[in-house]
Amino acid sequence: MNLVNIKDVLTSFSPALDYLALSTGDGRIKIWDTVKGQVQTEFADIASTEETNIYTKVGKGHLSVDYTCMKWLSLEKKKKRKLGTSVLVLGTGGGDVLALDVASGQLKWRISDCHPGGVNAVSSSANASCIYSGGADGMVCQIDPHSGNLIRKFKASTKTVSSLCVSPDGKILVTASAQLKTFNCSDLKKIQKFTGHPGGVRCVAFTEDGKYVLSSAVGERYIALWKTDGANKQSASCVLALEHPPVFVDSWGETNEKGLYVLAISEVGVCYFWYGSNVEELCNATPTKVALATADSSLKPHKGSLPLIFAAKLQGILKPGSAHAFIASGLLVKPSFQKMVLQFGTDLVLNASKDGILLPITQSVSKSSKGKGVQNKVTTLDRAHAEDALLPIARVADLHEKKSVQLHSSDKDTDMVDQSQADHLETFCMEDKLRSLGILGGTDEQKKISYASIIDGMDLEAYLPPKKLKSAVSSMEPSSAFKTLEALVAMWQTRACGGRHLLPWIYSIMVNHSHYIMSQEPKNQQLLNTLVKITKSRGTALQQLLQLSGRLQLVTAQINKAAGNQTQTTAHDDQEIDESEDEEDDVEEHFYGENDNESDLSSDDGKDKDDSLMDM
Amino acid sequence: MIRGGRSYVTSPPSFSNDAKRLLVCTGNTVSVFSAATGLQITSLEGHTAPVTTLIVVPASSPAQKILCYCWTASLDGTIRHWDFSGPELLKTIDAQLPIYSMVIPSLLSEPQQIDKRCELSGKLVAFVSVEDISVVNEGSKELRGHIRRFNLAKPRVPRGDTLKETAEPESIVISPSGEFFGIRHKCKIHIWDVPSGGSRHAVSRKMTLHHTKVINAFAFHPTERVIAAGDVTGRVLIWRGFGNRKLALGNQKKKVRATVDLDNAGVRGEDDTESCTTWHWHSAEVNVLNFSSDGAYLYSGGREGVLVVWQLDTGKKKFLPRIGSPLLYFMWSPDPTLSSVVCADNQIHLLKMPSMEILRTISGIKAPPSLPRMYEGLASTVAFDRSSGIAALCTENYCVQLYNLLNDRGISEIQVCERNHQPGDEITVVVTAVALSLDGSVMSTTEVKLPEDGIGGLVSLKFWACEPDSKTFTLSTIVYEPHRDAGVSAIAFHPTRSMAVSTSFGGDFKIWVCNSDKNQTDKDSSWICHAVGSYKKKPMTAAAFSGDGTVLAVAAETVITLWNPDKNILLSVLGATLTPITKLCFAGKSEFLVAASHFPRPELSVWNTSKLSISWSYGLRVEAVTSAVDSSAFAVLAVIPKSFKTDKSKENIFRGRDGAILLFNGSDPKPVSIWTVIKAKGGSISFLEGDKSQLRLAYVNGSREYVVFDPNSDESHERSAVDYDGLAGLEETGDAGYTSLYGQLPDYDKKRMEDVDSLATPFISSERPWETIFSGSTLNFPPLQKLCAEFFESLMEKRTAVVE
Repeated sequence: MNLVNIKDVLTSFSPALDYLALSTGDGRIKIWDTVKGQVQTEFADIASTEETNIYTKVGKGHLSVDYTCMKWLSLEKKKKRKLGTSVLVLGTGGGDVLALDVASGQLKWRISDCHPGGVNAVSSSANASCIYSGGADGMVCQIDPHSGNLIRKFKASTKTVSSLCVSPDGKILVTASAQLKTFNCSDLKKIQKFTGHPGGVRCVAFTEDGKYVLSSAVGERYIALWKTDGANKQSASCVLALEHPPVFVDSWGETNEKGLYVLAISEVGVCYFWYGSNVEELCNATPTKVALATADSSLKPHKGSLPLIFAAKLQGILKPGSAHAFIASGLLVKPSFQKMVLQFGTDLVLNASKDGILLPITQSVSKSSKGKGVQNKVTTLDRAHAEDALLPIARVADLHEKKSVQLHSSDKDTDMVDQSQADHLETFCMEDKLRSLGILGGTDEQKKISYASIIDGMDLEAYLPPKKLKSAVSSMEPSSAFKTLEALVAMWQTRACGGRHLLPWIYSIMVNHSHYIMSQEPKNQQLLNTLVKITKSRGTALQQLLQLSGRLQLVTAQINKAAGNQTQTTAHDDQEIDESEDEEDDVEEHFYGENDNESDLSSDDGKDKDDSLMDM
Repeated sequence: MIRGGRSYVTSPPSFSNDAKRLLVCTGNTVSVFSAATGLQITSLEGHTAPVTTLIVVPASSPAQKILCYCWTASLDGTIRHWDFSGPELLKTIDAQLPIYSMVIPSLLSEPQQIDKRCELSGKLVAFVSVEDISVVNEGSKELRGHIRRFNLAKPRVPRGDTLKETAEPESIVISPSGEFFGIRHKCKIHIWDVPSGGSRHAVSRKMTLHHTKVINAFAFHPTERVIAAGDVTGRVLIWRGFGNRKLALGNQKKKVRATVDLDNAGVRGEDDTESCTTWHWHSAEVNVLNFSSDGAYLYSGGREGVLVVWQLDTGKKKFLPRIGSPLLYFMWSPDPTLSSVVCADNQIHLLKMPSMEILRTISGIKAPPSLPRMYEGLASTVAFDRSSGIAALCTENYCVQLYNLLNDRGISEIQVCERNHQPGDEITVVVTAVALSLDGSVMSTTEVKLPEDGIGGLVSLKFWACEPDSKTFTLSTIVYEPHRDAGVSAIAFHPTRSMAVSTSFGGDFKIWVCNSDKNQTDKDSSWICHAVGSYKKKPMTAAAFSGDGTVLAVAAETVITLWNPDKNILLSVLGATLTPITKLCFAGKSEFLVAASHFPRPELSVWNTSKLSISWSYGLRVEAVTSAVDSSAFAVLAVIPKSFKTDKSKENIFRGRDGAILLFNGSDPKPVSIWTVIKAKGGSISFLEGDKSQLRLAYVNGSREYVVFDPNSDESHERSAVDYDGLAGLEETGDAGYTSLYGQLPDYDKKRMEDVDSLATPFISSERPWETIFSGSTLNFPPLQKLCAEFFESLMEKRTAVVE
């Protein structure tokens, strides 16, 4: 890649912004499709071969032309049937002005030696009614874009016209050498003269309402803003400073209502953006910069081919202070196009794409492998993964409940059935559930403490043979026995201690102190009721629990079989299961026993039977 | 108002005399493209039916190369003469019968004099293939295709002499010298001699060549009496010296070969040729046959998508493979270094000639895939990026084509799954649906690998991430068998977050989320399943997110279920429609939900989600629904029932159009406006919201032609162009048009509403969580291994706080 300075690059967007014409000074024009990001056509020898004889094709003579300026305009439709034609107007260093019909790829017209010494600028108004060109001879030519006929020609300056611009409404023309002059387009009378630029002006542009002219001269690091409807001679009303000389200036908006937006591209390929609701504000505004990331070290050595922003156009305003812009950036051999929102005050750094750069082999290899690694990362989910949902199976919402309740319960659910998070610490507790539903009583913390003191002397956990248990119970005072019973029932209810240990005690107390308990009947109604309730609830759960445990056993047995050798944990599990089984057995036994007992409480004659049962 | 997406391949294109322009028949117009850039320069507009034939008046001398005249013939029964440099219509001749093919021999045969003599003496004779619509076509065996002779010099053509009658109109092939023309008819080729005298009464002489197979294409040699024909089995036959007896030049009748029948190698029966040779390379039917302009080479091509060049004398071959689609036409240009080949996938390739490189491609929208029956009416093969006006279209070659509707250009093509470059192969994979997220950054596709003999079917769902630089998408996640074996019926994206839902015929839907949601910088985003839901194991057929994304509506056959997509909670169920729902759409940000079903009884119903009841419905068959993001407006594409079209009183309204776009506003059952369209079946519509904040409606019809228009503009005249007709517009607003179209419907509507109200108890009360889990009727029972531990603990475990 040759060292191309952005100053020599000619760019022009098509009015619809779907194409960008790009010429790098070698006489070739590439038309890039901004939608696809590909070259649509390349015009190489348009200017040199006017005779279009297909049988005798001459060699490509593109190096003999040097284009100096370029402007894309779309001509309005003459008839309804005809498609609007897109014309690329070019000025050459040889002084010719030519127009290229982009769609057909043919030369539309050509004016030879329009400006002896070279054409420096072409411009047209928004509706493309006529074209103005300015050249080294100081003349300005008005050209009909359809036919290429020269309409008028006048001397604008004694010096070279370095740049010119027509206001969007087509009424005012500004020409620039070192001095800016504005002309009335209808009678070509000079309106104003702006002096102040030390050298030749490189770029001029009108604001959208035509009230201000933006200009910048070669080597200057600022853009001057001139008022067009003011006094005849005046100095710049505003100056916008940049870090590098600008090569391209564009503006959007009006000074009164919409606010003024100015966009400029500097020589080093950085885009600057100003916004002000009026001129004063614009003067004080610090520019927002859009630059390409240059941190990539692999690009550093290739100075000439650094990625740049080389073309930009304001497209519209989103809201005050931010505008849509269409930016062409990257390398000149492979630009990339993007439409972006420029927010005034926030600098943007674009990612430089390395497409189109030719790197030394070592670098390119590493780069390509890296690139592949990033790009080809595709996640694949198979059938099993696809079933692995993060959320549990759907529930039906209760719209009558409050939203918060819904949330709560669904959270609970999540924890319970969550398949992906098997090791979740928080477990679902039936007690909480029951408590929240009001089945369990509220706070009985202080009671528990007293219970603890009551049963202090008893070792509930220790296994006692039935006889010892009976003797211990019978040795109790009836009142203390009753209290113990209360404590035990409460413990069983709150599950402070396993039923396996509690139930023998409860049973024993009930049997041995039945009279006292019966005498306490009116008071302890509550107690017996609770007992019945608990036993019943356990009883109904029993069948299912037994089924579950049976299945669990089966499953663990299968797992063990599959695993071959038992690990310690599974053994432990087995134990646990055994325990629970024991527990259930106990429950069963005592359940029946208790039932008998309770029914006997009134009849009072099943005692012997119970005793015999117990002795068994 | 933008139109485009027209087919470039309905008839052969034609080069201009300087080979710089290529004229292509595009529907009712002829588009002129630049051969140098591939861009459209201009178009010839005037025909009111598809243009079938395009003849560029050839230049006989280099000086005439700049002349740009052409003749076109169209199904609208007119023949027109154009100057396409202008473009200007010079002359219109009304032939009254639909013209399928036309040749003008005198343009070719006597180039020196034609312009002067024929025009002056009024003897420009054309041979046309017309369909005789005067014959009533009640399934009778009337021969409707006629080959007739017209005199184009007269402004109004009488019926003309009929040369031949065939069952269907056939296309006429003319020899480059203009001496002969012919048609193929099953296994025969009929050839006529063009009367050289040009007298009106001279009768053309006729001969016939026979073959055992159906002939697909044939071509005449430019200078010699040689015919090449290609048949359905892939054979290319070369008959040399045909018609020496029967078509011998009348006056100087050469008495040659009067009795040479015996030694004519390969000639069948009584055919009047010297010899017949057969070349066999093509494995499938031959569609393209053309001799080079000097007659030394023969070009052939067919379903394999390979262009073969035969050296006529030796039979040596050269190939241009990997074109990727069946070939339809091959045209050489006056410039010997340029030719064009036209493919079935709506592409015209310009070839650099001796080396046969593809220089440039003029590409249109590719043809839609043919879907398995199961997906008919459900699959959405077109998706729209509303902000940029880009449409993503599924194509037959397992691709998704991105097409910019606003400037009628293809952008890129994304290969959804692997395939080889053999277009003749059986189609084994079908891309059934494509969906784009609202911001256009994520695309999702689903494809079905068709099972062979019931084995090997595979459904996969893919998520693609947009690459803004290259304007294409890269694959981010593949999900194989997302819903077990069941096919995916619909995909929908969340309007604001990266979340998508896919529904399946297997009775469940899945919500997918992108895990790079939190850290935007991370490039390698992947999608995972967020939640699964089902409703009574019914097939889920459609899904839609509400405008703010808080509610997900999923159609489970006839009922609509509303879900909270984040927590996966069934919020409520909307009452049943009569038939399975195929499309769902929320009407913008409003509370209305539009549901469409079409088999067996079509219905369009609008539901109020706040009242959970139906608000109105029509018995319309709806192909597509779209809604605007900001307003409550929505539009439906309805197929007009047959009974409407045949109704005499309505004939003048529809004029052959089979569909209508109806624009509704929220709850109002009266459409705001109606536009009639053609080829609505398989069509698709969408609102486009550009940065200019103007709302536009894009309609892509069944054959992938499209139109983008502003639904709120008052240019009623412009609107009529929706139907590609150019005639007076049909824009029915308000009562008159409405009642004329759907006058009898409100009664039905009311009745329906009552019905639904009476059985509207669509609410399902909540249940306790345990019951929900164990009730096997609605939900999947979790596997015991996973469930047991938690259940057991929860039942037995003491509270940890009390242990101490």
